[in-house]
Amino acid sequence: MKLTTTAMVLVLSASAVFAEEKVTIEFAYPYSHLFDVTYEAMMPAFKEAHPNIEVKFRATYESYEDATNTILREAVAGNLPDVTMQGLNRQAPLIDKGIAQSLEPFIASEADFEKDGYHEAMLSLSTFDNTVYGLPFSISLPVGYYNIDILRAGGIEELPTTWDEVIAACKTMKANGIDNPIFWGWNITGNWFVQALLWSQDSAIVDGGRVTLDSPEALVALEQMQEIFTECEMQNLEWKAALSSFSAGDIGMMFWSTSALGAVERSQGDFELVTGPFPGLDGAPMGLPAGGNAAMLTSTSDDPKVRDAAWTWLKYITSGDGAAEVAKTTGYMPPNKAANEIILADFYEQNPNKQTAVDQLPLLRDWLAYPGDNGLAITQVIYDSIERIVTGDATDMNALQQEMVEEVADLLPNG
Amino acid sequence: MAVLDADLQPLRKEENRQARTAWGLAAPALALMILILLVPVCVAIVLSFSNYALGNPGFDWVGVQNYERLFTRSTYEKMFIATFTYVVTVVPISVGLGLGAAMLVHSLGRIGDIYKTIYFLPVMATLLAMAIAWEFMLHPTIGMVNRTLAMACGTWMEAIAFFGNGCADGFPLWLRDRDYAIWVVCFIGIWQGFGFNMVLYLAGLTSVHRELYHAAEMDGARSAWERFRLVTWPALGPTTVFVVTISCIRAFQVFDTIEAFWPQGGGPNKSAYVMMFAIFEKGVQQNLIGIGSAITVLFLVFVMFLTLIQRWLVERKVHYG
Repeated sequence: MKLTTTAMVLVLSASAVFAEEKVTIEFAYPYSHLFDVTYEAMMPAFKEAHPNIEVKFRATYESYEDATNTILREAVAGNLPDVTMQGLNRQAPLIDKGIAQSLEPFIASEADFEKDGYHEAMLSLSTFDNTVYGLPFSISLPVGYYNIDILRAGGIEELPTTWDEVIAACKTMKANGIDNPIFWGWNITGNWFVQALLWSQDSAIVDGGRVTLDSPEALVALEQMQEIFTECEMQNLEWKAALSSFSAGDIGMMFWSTSALGAVERSQGDFELVTGPFPGLDGAPMGLPAGGNAAMLTSTSDDPKVRDAAWTWLKYITSGDGAAEVAKTTGYMPPNKAANEIILADFYEQNPNKQTAVDQLPLLRDWLAYPGDNGLAITQVIYDSIERIVTGDATDMNALQQEMVEEVADLLPNG
Repeated sequence: MAVLDADLQPLRKEENRQARTAWGLAAPALALMILILLVPVCVAIVLSFSNYALGNPGFDWVGVQNYERLFTRSTYEKMFIATFTYVVTVVPISVGLGLGAAMLVHSLGRIGDIYKTIYFLPVMATLLAMAIAWEFMLHPTIGMVNRTLAMACGTWMEAIAFFGNGCADGFPLWLRDRDYAIWVVCFIGIWQGFGFNMVLYLAGLTSVHRELYHAAEMDGARSAWERFRLVTWPALGPTTVFVVTISCIRAFQVFDTIEAFWPQGGGPNKSAYVMMFAIFEKGVQQNLIGIGSAITVLFLVFVMFLTLIQRWLVERKVHYG
C-alpha cells in the first residue's frame, strides 16, 4: 500500500515537471557590487519573454581572478555552470583547456545575428583562432574621476591631460591644504593599469607569446607610476576603501575604470562629479586596454533544451534591452551596436559622465592574457612589484624591473 | 615433542584468533587514518615534486625545483620572515599573559568566573568575523582606533613623538602600512589566543598540591616570587610544554586574519604573508599545486618538529606526577 502511494506521488510530481517544461540553467558572474543591479533590472523582462527558462544564480565571483579559478576548480569537480561571465583577459586559458565551448554552431543557426547588433569588431574581443567563444557583455576603459568641488578648493580649474599635469595638480592641491588629492588604481584586477600605461605608449605587455616586461616602455611605465605615487604622496588605500572614500567626497582625483561609475554615482556624496579622458604620458594615450567581461558557454549538459536555453540567456544579456541595462546601471558600455545606437541613442547625451569612455573607444586594445598556466600567478607577481613602489619599498626602478622580469620568467612555459 | 606440540596448538590458535579480532576491530580506525590522513600527506609529498596545475590533463616531474625556489626567491623569504615574526611574537606573549591571567583569576575565587568568561570570549568568537570587526576599527579615517588617537591632538600628549606626527600628518594606515601590518596581526593573535592558554593554565593550577606551598614556606620560601619560582612554575612544567606546543602550532596556522584583511597579496609588501596564506594563495587561488604542496610539506615538517620536541621534553624531565 505504502509503495503504491509513493509510486503515485513520484508519478504525479514527474508529470507536474513535464507539464511546466521548465528548463533550469545555472549562471555565475563577478563583482556583485557592480552587476547585482544590472541583473536585477534584466530579470523581469527576461522572465516575461522566456517564462520556461529559469536562471539559477550561483554565488558571485569576487573578481575576475576568482572567476577563472572557480571555473577551473569546477571543471575538475565536474559541476560547471551553464553560462559564466569571465574577464576579457581570462578567456584564453579556459579555451586552451577546453572548458569554454565554441559558439559557432549557435551563431550559424541564427538568421539575423548581425542585425541583433553583433558585429566583427566587438566580437573580436572573444574570438580566438577565428572561432567565437564568447559574447562580450560589458566593456570598460580607464578614465579619470574628478571631484570638482575639491579641485576648485585646491585651485585647479582645468582637467589634466597628461600625468605631468596630474602631478602638478597634486602639488597645487597639497599646497592649498587638500590632504588626499589622488587615488591611482594600480591595484585594479589583471594589472590593467600597467597595461594601460604600456598601451598608452602603443606597447603590448604580451607580444608574440613573450612577456615584454623587460622593454624600455615597461621601465617608463614603472617610473611614471613611481613619480605619481611619490610626488602626489598617494595613500596606499585598498581599492574598495578608495572607491568609498571618493564617493564620500574625500579624494580629489581618482583614476579607475569607467565601470564603477554607476556604483560611485549611487553612493555619491554632495559634490560635483565629472569624468575626463585618461591622461597620457606625453599627450593623449595611443591606446588603452579594454576591460570588462564576456559571457561564455561552459555547459556540460547533453540536453539540447538546456543548451538552447543557455544560448537564449547568453544572447539576451548581450543584445537589445538586456545589453542596454549594462549602460544604464553601470559605467560599462554594452559592446552591442544596436543597443548603443538605437536604444541608448540619447542616453549618453543625458549622462555625459558615461560618454567619456565612449569617446575613448577608438583607443580600444586587447586586455592581454599572460601565456601558459600561470597567468594568475604572473598577475600577482606584477601586483606585488607595483605595491612595493606604492609603499616605498622599491626605489630603484631598474632593479625592480630586473626582479620582476626574473620572477615572471620562472612562471612562463619553458621558463 | 609431539605431546608438547599438541598441547600448544589450541593455545596458539587462540592467540591467532585474538590477534585477528584485534586487527579486525582496529581496521576501521586504521583504514580511516590511512585514507584521510596519511594518503593525502603522501599525495602532497609526491605532488611537491611536480608542476601540476589544476585543470591540466597531465604534469611533469620537476625534481626539487619547487623546494629550491622556496629557499631562493624573495617572496618566500618574506613568507618565512612573516611566519617566524608572528610565531616568535605571539607564542611567548600569549603564553605569558595566559599564565599571568590564570594566576590572577585563580587567586580570586568566585569573581574569577566573570574574568574567565571575559578572557575566554575572543577564543570562542570566530576569528574571521572578529577580523572584519577589527578591519572596521582600524580604518584609516573613520575607524575607531584612529578616531580615539586623534582625541589626543591638542592636548599635552602631542609632546610624544607618535602623537605629534600623527596629529600633523595623519595617524598610521595600520593595515596598509608595511611597518605596522604584521604587528597588528600579532596583536590580534595575542588578543584572541591568550584566553585559551589561560584556561589550560587554570586546569594546571588546580592540580598543584597545596601541601607543596606549605612545605616550601616551612623551608623558608616566604615571598610570592619564591613560591612561584620554586613550586608553581616547576609544577606547571607539563602544562607549559603543552601550552607552548599548542600555541606554536596555532601560530603557524594563522590564516583567517590575513585572508580577511588582505585577500590579495598577504599584506602590504607581503609583510604578513604567512605560510598558511601562501599555501592558500599558491595552491587554491593560483592553482599552482606543485609549489603549494611544497610549502605544505615544509609546514608539516615544522609542525612535526615541534611535536617531537614536545614529546622529548615530556618524556625527559618536566613530569612531576
